[in-house]
Amino acid sequence: MEKARLCFITGGVRSGKSRFAESKALEYALQMDGNLHYLACGRDRDAEMGERILRHRKDRESSPIAWKTSEYATDITRIGADIDQDSIILLDCLTTLLDNELFGPGNPLEKEFLHSVFSKIINAIKVIRKQSSCLIVVSNELVQEPIFQNEILHTYGKILGQLHQAIVGQADEAYLVESGIPLRKRG
Amino acid sequence: MHFVTGGAYNGKTKWVKQLYSLENDVLWLSGYRKEQPEMLDFQGNTVVLQGLEAWIQHAAEGMDSHSIRKRWKDIIADWRIWESEKEERSCIVIGSDISKGIVPIEARDRRWRDACGWVYQDVASVCSRVDIIWYGINQRIK
Repeated sequence: MEKARLCFITGGVRSGKSRFAESKALEYALQMDGNLHYLACGRDRDAEMGERILRHRKDRESSPIAWKTSEYATDITRIGADIDQDSIILLDCLTTLLDNELFGPGNPLEKEFLHSVFSKIINAIKVIRKQSSCLIVVSNELVQEPIFQNEILHTYGKILGQLHQAIVGQADEAYLVESGIPLRKRG
Repeated sequence: MHFVTGGAYNGKTKWVKQLYSLENDVLWLSGYRKEQPEMLDFQGNTVVLQGLEAWIQHAAEGMDSHSIRKRWKDIIADWRIWESEKEERSCIVIGSDISKGIVPIEARDRRWRDACGWVYQDVASVCSRVDIIWYGINQRIK
């Protein structure tokens, strides 16, 4: 089976990356006559998060093609039950997913576990791409500072960097969004 | 001389290996392994200085940033002489960008960050090619 198109979008916080990703998804949906699926990985934990989720939801409500939302904070392959070969999926966002997979209660932050989380996420992307027409992955740009004395931050930065490398390596398109302006890095 | 920079864990080393198809006959000197960035008895034509930020971090434990900058000007000058002795020789320097975060609390870390910025400018200024690597994708800026 052919693999779905893969698009990677990153940027700083409030850089407009989600909005750009939504417009990109809509563009694909119109082009390929597809249906829009929003894969939310965030947990509605506090008022701030709730407000952001609401804002993004409102944006999607004004879309000319309706969005369906699936909420999976971990184990995102569960979306398989909600989608079909015409689905255009927007995963928002990879860093939240990584947080949820890494920092669950009782998770040992050891090498094998960390490696298994990396493989789990890369594999999930592969599985979803076999069941859909397009997958857009949104993530946060890493800081470039000397954080590496702190072991948890170091490990986190390393896994996120490796995930980004692996996804960009497979992607048909990759963008870095700066102040609302998408910079095309690949595609 | 070729300078390769970008954030940590962006695939800089992998990119360098692919670009130069580096397998044999390359001298890798690593700041992470605390090796000296100096010429050893080596007959090959390609040298990679990897982890420039780690060498500078180590130096910042006891040196001020101006002295670090001066020391690295000398080291780079030596490598340029080595390169100029034979047409086929090339030296590639890899350094992670650590310049885009909040000001570090520790004076030593501020020295490290300052020295890194200056040394990177100096290295880039004498290089014929400079690339920034973003998750495995290069952007040539010089």
